[in-house]
Amino acid sequence: MDEQFHIEHLPNGVTLLGQSMKDVSSAAVTFAVPAGSAFDPAPLAGAAAVISEWIMRGAGDRDTRALNDALDNLGCQHDASVVSEFVQLSSAQLGRNLAQAMEIFADILLRPRLEAATFIPARSLILQDLQSLDDEPARKAVMMLRERFYPSPLGRSIYGSVESLESLEARSLEDYARNALGPCGTIVAVAGNIDWPAFVDQAARLLGDWEAPGPAAPAVTAAAAGVTHIERDSAQMHITLGHKACPASDERFYAAHLAETVLSGGMSSRLFTHVREERGLAYHVSTHYHSLKGHAGMFTYAGTVPEKGQETLDVTVRELKRIVEGIADDEMHRARTQYKSATVMAGESTSARAFALAGDWYHLGRLRTLEETIAAIDAVSIEDVLDYVREFPAADFTVMTIGPNALDTSAL
Amino acid sequence: MEFKQTQLSNGLQVVGEINPSAASLAAGFFVRTGSRDETPEISGVSHFLEHMVFKGTDKRSPFDVNRDFDTMGARYNAFTSEESTVFYGAVVPEFQSPLIDLLGDILRPSLRGEDFDMEKNVILDEIARYEDQPQFKVYEKLMGQFFRGHPLGNNVLGSPESIRALKRDDMQAYFDRRYSAGNVVVAATGNIDFDLLVADVEKACRRWKHFEVTRDTPPVRGNTDQTVIADAKMVHENIALMSAAPSSQDDDRYAAQLLAAIIGDSTGSRLYYALIDPAIADQASMSFDGMDQAGAFITFVSARPDRATEALAITRGVLADFCKSGPSEAELEAAKNKIASGSTLKGEVPMGRLTSVGLGWVYRHEYVPLPEQIERLFQVSTQEVAELARLYDLSAASVLALGPRESL
Repeated sequence: MDEQFHIEHLPNGVTLLGQSMKDVSSAAVTFAVPAGSAFDPAPLAGAAAVISEWIMRGAGDRDTRALNDALDNLGCQHDASVVSEFVQLSSAQLGRNLAQAMEIFADILLRPRLEAATFIPARSLILQDLQSLDDEPARKAVMMLRERFYPSPLGRSIYGSVESLESLEARSLEDYARNALGPCGTIVAVAGNIDWPAFVDQAARLLGDWEAPGPAAPAVTAAAAGVTHIERDSAQMHITLGHKACPASDERFYAAHLAETVLSGGMSSRLFTHVREERGLAYHVSTHYHSLKGHAGMFTYAGTVPEKGQETLDVTVRELKRIVEGIADDEMHRARTQYKSATVMAGESTSARAFALAGDWYHLGRLRTLEETIAAIDAVSIEDVLDYVREFPAADFTVMTIGPNALDTSAL
Repeated sequence: MEFKQTQLSNGLQVVGEINPSAASLAAGFFVRTGSRDETPEISGVSHFLEHMVFKGTDKRSPFDVNRDFDTMGARYNAFTSEESTVFYGAVVPEFQSPLIDLLGDILRPSLRGEDFDMEKNVILDEIARYEDQPQFKVYEKLMGQFFRGHPLGNNVLGSPESIRALKRDDMQAYFDRRYSAGNVVVAATGNIDFDLLVADVEKACRRWKHFEVTRDTPPVRGNTDQTVIADAKMVHENIALMSAAPSSQDDDRYAAQLLAAIIGDSTGSRLYYALIDPAIADQASMSFDGMDQAGAFITFVSARPDRATEALAITRGVLADFCKSGPSEAELEAAKNKIASGSTLKGEVPMGRLTSVGLGWVYRHEYVPLPEQIERLFQVSTQEVAELARLYDLSAASVLALGPRESL
């Protein structure tokens, strides 16, 4: 596949990234504004989540309905969301509608109305999301694990708490939002059927005058870590574990991903084989790599019927630890092929590519070609992966379980 | 894009949508069988069998199956619905032949007793897993309620009791009744070599027997009961409504898809403005499910218990109002643009086209290229959508609520 990358910087700190793709009619765009939930000032925890809901309720000349209708008419599949580091606005549409959609997105980020009347419902939706987590223990466990695993507040739940959400006020949140949503460090990535020079001209016109200081960097304190159990009369025992991994910018990143693939990459992976296939313990067991800037973890989930909770935990942990003992040639070959195929297939989707461009830029400060990624995967040896897992062993777990009974974690 | 199709002498059909510029290809074996083809004694057997298909053949152990998929770097899975069981994978083009060889082989599983007993635990755990997902639970119970007395009311997963009682030979007998060569469509999309595909399918499947497979398609008399299931542990009230809709074979399916988007798309729809915008509910959506000679409109609403009665009343109001006055031109136009854009995006990846091409052939024996699908969508008028709403009377819905409330 011949790839064409583009990079352009605006003087106010916005970075524009692009990839022209042949044979597609769509164009996907992602705006990553560095004002994610980790930046929420402690008393305003949940601010970014409410802001992501609130900015969609009217911007520029359009009220909520006019804004929605305009995006719908352009066929924009759009989403405003929040992660630890960013408020993200992403949208996929036909390439020929991108320019018109860009005008609207600029309104949303630079000129959101943030009216008092739309604040209460925006906050109420986030509150309801937070409360509905109690009905979905699997999602809740994963979220709470991250909160305790990462240094605070980097992994904090995007929802904050009921108390912090209820204490938010329209005026002060508006002030915070107008300062926090700023150009410095903002990434705009576009992939697909694009006209790059025209895109750059338009982006410079729309975003060039954007001014706002951005949020203050959070004060980071040590992770809470430890073992936590939430007792709940759920049908399943939900087990989540986190242990340290190398960050995405580390040269051992590919080794980390290959370790993840050996453990959890497909149905022949170790966790699936030993937890599900050989013992029938759990329908779902998996581990996956996740990275923030400078901090990363390997996050493992297993859900099982309560009677089998202890055995599931023990077998899962045993497999996570056992990888340091060695990896067979054919296992490594499979992991490499899986990783490479997944990369090739993700390269067919304009949305996935826009996200990947933004991720590369944020973590690495450059864009990786498909060729580079494939070569890097091929270059990793079994010994490299083993060196990696010795350096980042499955140990010092942060544990979060939700279910009818606490498990014995003394052997971890 | 080019479309090709053929049929083996044993009745197995092969269809392909060829896109030489794609980086990958997807292939699936679509078996026209699911929970609607089960009797109560074997409830859940279709889905359990889907799991057992990955447990190996005379040539392959369970681990061999998993290993062979992973050696190709395939993205693969399977799903079972009320009426289809589908096994599929996506790979880069060099693995086309090995993928077909593998899928073709596992569709004739050994169903070994020890694997059967072990997998039973996994199925029981999967049933427990869905117990902890309220939306799924509500959907399952409402299907049972709306289609009571009709095969589509059969539960896909079965119950813990029916699964525990199921015997290996019951599954074999079901397999022998349903997995006829003539009841299977092999569909492939993306960067495929069609001649090679046909040759490989022939090699893998030519010994499959052809026999008569039937399916009951009685008329649907949707039950319009209202049930509230109280569960004091739950925080939110999850409400679902179901009413009759065009079938998958019906030409009205395009209008039905538009109707559902106008009323209940995740953005800019009537339910969005009536419930989400004012934060009366935190979820509200409507979808159209076209099935074999039957169809349903399904609406989901999730709200805090103190707003649940109001949310349900508003939902009913939106549905009744739509039946009375139909959509505006602007609403219809927006829904068309959204659906067209969504299908275009999905269609840019081979995997995104597979179910559309495969099920299109299973249900209608027809192939409609994506541009023509979009064309047909754009031909639908406001009058047609309004007539559809009246014809299917959205307000005559079956309702099921699950949550802390005793009544609504």
